[in-house]
This record gives sequence, structure tokens and C-alpha cells, in this order.
Amino acid sequence: MDEEYDCIVLGTGLKECIISGMLSVSGKKVLHMDRNKYYGGESASITPLEDLFTKFGLPSPEETYGRTRDWNVDLIPKFLMANGQLVKLLIHTGVTRYLEFKSVEGSYVYKGTKISKVPADEKEALTSDLMGMFEKRRFKNFLVFAQDFKDDDPGSWKAVPGFDPINTTMNTVFAHYNLDKNTIDFTGHALALYRDDDYLTKPAGDTLKRIKLYSDSLARYGKSPYLYPLYGLGELPQGFARLSAIYGGTYMLDKPIDEIVLEDGKVTGVRSGGETAKCKQVYCDPSYVPDRVQKVGQVVRAICLLDHPISNTKDALSTQIIIPQKQVNRNSDIYVSLVSYTHQVAAKGWFIAMVSTTVETDNPEAEIAPGLNLLGPVKQKFVTVSPIYKPQDDGTGNQIFISESYDATSHFETTCLDVLSIYRRGTGDDFDFSKVKHNLGDEDM
Amino acid sequence: MLIEDNKFTGTNSERVMASVKVPEQKIILCGEYGVGKSSLFRRYATNTFVTATDRKSTLGLDHYEKVYCSGDKEVKLQLWDTGGMERVASITSSYYKFAEGAILVFALDNPDSFNILSQHLLDIVTYAENAKIFLCGNKYDLKSQIQVTDADMENFCEQCHNLISGIYKTSCKTGAGVEEMFTDIARQLSDSNRGLLYVLSMEMRELRSSGSMQNTVQSASFFTATHYAW
Repeated sequence: MDEEYDCIVLGTGLKECIISGMLSVSGKKVLHMDRNKYYGGESASITPLEDLFTKFGLPSPEETYGRTRDWNVDLIPKFLMANGQLVKLLIHTGVTRYLEFKSVEGSYVYKGTKISKVPADEKEALTSDLMGMFEKRRFKNFLVFAQDFKDDDPGSWKAVPGFDPINTTMNTVFAHYNLDKNTIDFTGHALALYRDDDYLTKPAGDTLKRIKLYSDSLARYGKSPYLYPLYGLGELPQGFARLSAIYGGTYMLDKPIDEIVLEDGKVTGVRSGGETAKCKQVYCDPSYVPDRVQKVGQVVRAICLLDHPISNTKDALSTQIIIPQKQVNRNSDIYVSLVSYTHQVAAKGWFIAMVSTTVETDNPEAEIAPGLNLLGPVKQKFVTVSPIYKPQDDGTGNQIFISESYDATSHFETTCLDVLSIYRRGTGDDFDFSKVKHNLGDEDM
Repeated sequence: MLIEDNKFTGTNSERVMASVKVPEQKIILCGEYGVGKSSLFRRYATNTFVTATDRKSTLGLDHYEKVYCSGDKEVKLQLWDTGGMERVASITSSYYKFAEGAILVFALDNPDSFNILSQHLLDIVTYAENAKIFLCGNKYDLKSQIQVTDADMENFCEQCHNLISGIYKTSCKTGAGVEEMFTDIARQLSDSNRGLLYVLSMEMRELRSSGSMQNTVQSASFFTATHYAW
């Protein structure tokens, strides 16, 4: 490894792998290292099942769990928005051809004491118990406005008098359509996918764009706006790692990272044991630079192994349930996601549910109780509380560009925003998708 | 690339309809760095050979599809190269996923590249358990330097409990044996006498190729239509 590179990337989590791929595609000479023997870091899917049990200090799973090789368990639960940023990145970079996706069967929202399906078509909307008859009418008018909204076309703003996307708050828009608080809760949390209510007093344009993303994603496949890759989320970093390798990136796993070498306040290399690889830039996740990040919060996540689907979801083999903060007197939402053997992540007949939220108290596990209660009997539960780190600076000074920890959101939109921001800070340019050349085998793209 | 669940429960007639399309079969190249996997890929894809064995020769190689005729059946082989990841690190497990065939490649003049194949075999049976496995001794043109004998290869197959479906000797430099190998692999994969697992994986493949992220399925949506009645 005693060579000179343009960039050294540390850690093979999803963000680092996307960045590595983008840098290699842009013609940079990239060395990509991980201290672990496997790809994916925190975004890996754990297989076989005994590795997951070992990780949590438990004895090997009993035989009822089936073939342990059939399990690929994510540590961080997320879905892809069908029309979202990550799917765009996957398509533009051609990484789609390394992966197979399934559409998530349904999206549910918690209201009062039970869950209701987020309607995916007209028929479901008509019979939905989320709103009364008159409220449905008002909500329909609001949706027509959201659907037609374009932030650069004042003609599309007319339905709400005096509206403009920056100075009008979302509260004002909801008030104009006279929506009740349950509908607002449902719209802000299950459609716009906000984790708290701060958005209500912020510019309405952003919220309307999020609602459009939801509806455009839903329009793609009809059942829900979400996609999930076969064999688990760990396939995503691997796909981007392959992209990076195809464009010349060098991969080294199982490499202890002992020092990031700086001279005059700028990075000049990375030392592993007695070897030092030279470079002009380093890109890494927070775990490689504990003294250059700050803790800004915590996420609690419970991985639950079930031998049955979740009640009241029509036995869906995959689903998402959002518990809006207000429904359970919290400040941030609780997310429940469910995938199963049909996604090649569990042995036949098994399901993996994940319950997660941003930590607000000293007893994180108690905070996710409303989500755990929806699951029914749980065969095995693994709870983690993970700190969320942010870099102390933007990296342009010392040329060390650090990603943020994966947050509690249920999808990859913030993940992609962080990646694109890091790429912009590191290269001074927005990523140029046209740099992805057409190679042999591109015929299906 | 999107699997439609409802098709799994489709009727037989739907399945017959689906099988009219020529199915593509993912074949992966496995083996040590420098044995000529990318050269095999290049012979297969463009029938060319590059003498320089530097890193650059692997750059940009991803996968390539070609149609073979076996009797009255057509088979589309989709050959995948490693991308050079095995040079210092290991190959991602996702490389193996969905593979219907795997070619264990070694260099006939390099016994080490042959002796380590059991490691690669283990990866294949772990991550691509339905794949048919083939053995390919490359650099057959280096006649005088050949150190791995036919008996060695047969012994290896026996030790692997006959997991290996075919043995081939190729020279990417001259092109000898390459086309013959792929033709035979295509024949073996098109063989209809394979077990139920094969039939199922064929259906999976069909379904997988039937949907695509770019082919937007416009369905009656709760949100998009302005003409819905409540």
C-alpha cells in the first residue's frame, strides 16, 4: 500500500462506498480500506444468524431458526423511496444491475390506539378510516394543490391566496384547507416523513416537495413508495464498491487504521502498521476519527425476530408503520419496519421487524414500547443504542471529509444528501452523472 | 429489476408465457488474481487479447451478454468479471448472488493458483449454492511450462464430490478452447433435466427481468390522479 493516491476512503459503509464510487468514476485514484474483514461496516447485513447472536453476546440460535445462512440481518433499518435520491444514484451509476428489489407491500400509520393503512389507491382511500367524509374532501383539495405545486411556477401557487414557497409556512397551508390535527399528523409524518413538528413553522415549499416525492414514488409501483433489496441493505454498499473497483479503485479489508498523517494542518497519508499510503484527501465515517466528531444525539433500534407477520397488516410480508410523535406524546416519531424470508433475509417462515426512534429519555428501550407492542410475540430481540456523530468542521481545511452517522429516518434521503454534500466539499463540484461512461454490458441500462 | 410478487402465484399459463423470452444466465469468473479471468472475459466479449497484464486491463469490465444456441433452445449467457477486487481484498458476496454458473479459473503454469481453488469453491457454494461449477485451466499455450496435469484436475473434481460439471483447457492468447467452453456451459445450463430448484430459479430470473426501475408502472394512484371520486 506504499503508493500515492488522490483519495483514501476509510470504512465501507454505504456512504463511503457511494463516495468511493463517485470519486473513481470521476477519474480519481482511490484506495478504499476497512478495518473489518467484511464490506459494509454498520450498513452490513449480518450473516449467518449465529454472527448476530454472537455480536450481542448470546449463545448460538436454536434449530427452529432454520438454516442460519439464510439470514441477512440489517443493523440499520431503512427503505428506498422509489423515486428518491438513492434510486436516482443507483440508476445513473448503473449499480442497479447488481441488485434486485422488491416493492414494500404496505405503509401504515398509527392513530389513536390502532394502525391504519396509508391508502395507496382510490378504493383504499374511500374505505379508509383515517378521515371522516368531509375531511376526505378537504384533504383531497389539499393533495391536488400539493401535486400541482412547482416551486418555480407562481401559477401553481394560486389556490392558496398570498402563497409563496419560502415565506408561507406549512401551518398556513394546512389552515387554508382547514385540515384537522389528525390529518395534519398523518400528512406531515406518514407522507412528508418528518420526524418531528418543526416543519409546521418552516417554509411550505420543502414539505410540498416531500409530499410530491411520496406520491411520485407511490406512482411507480402502486403498493407503497418503498423498495427493499433482496439479501438485505448490505448489498447496497457492495454494489457501489464494485462500481468503484470497476473504475480502478483499490480495495483492502481487514486493515487496522493506525494514524491519519497530517502536515501543516493538511492530510498527507494514512498509516496502517508500518506502511503509509500517501494521499491528498481522506473520506471516512466518524468511527475512524473519534476526536474530530461531536455527539449530537442517540438512536435506539430493536431488531426483532418473529415467526409471524404483524397483526392488522393483512399478513403483509413487508411493511412500514409510522407512529407519529403526538400520538404517543413524544417529540420524535417511532418507526417500525418489517421484511421477511421473501427478501432472502430470513429462513423460510421468518420475519425481521425493526423498531427505532431518536432517544429522548434515559430509558431508550421504554421509548420504543409503542412500536414493540404492535409486533405480537417476539422470539428474539436485540436492542442497540447508537450515538449520532457529526463532523466538527466541513473538512475543507484539513481535507478530511467525515460523514454523519446514520440517523433515525426510515429511508435514505438524508443519507444521499450527506453524500452529495461531502462530494461537493471534497471536489468543489456537484457530481456529474454524465461521467459514468457506457461500458461493456451497459445494454440493459 | 423489480420483482412483482403477484406473479409468483400466477397461473401455469402465465408462466409459460413468461418463458418465451430467452432467459439470461449469470456466469461468474472466480480464481486468483492474474490467472486470466479478464482475458477470458475479453475473449468472450470481443474476441480480443491484450498482452499487457497490468491493472488497467481489468478496468471497466463489468458484465457482457451473448446468446448461444443449444439444439433448438437459445440460452443467453451473462458473463461477469470480478472488477479486480480480489487483488488485495476479497470479492463482495453480492458478486455471487443470482449466479447460475461459476467458472473456477487457474493458470496451468501456476500450481498455487490451482491449489487454492478449494477456497474459491467454498465461496461459491456459500453464496451461490445453486450455481453449476466449471473448472478452467488457462494459459494452455505455455505448453512446456504446464505444471498442473489432467490427473490433478480429475483428482480435484473427485475430492469435490463431483460438484464440478465440466473441465476445460483454454488459451486466451490464441483463443483456443474458449468458445468451445462457453458453448458447452450454455448447453449444460439449457439442459432441461435439471432439478426443480433450477426450474424455480428460472422463474425467479424471468420475473426479475420482467420489471425494471425505468419502466414505470403507472397504476391508479391515490395521489396522482385528479379524477378520483371519494
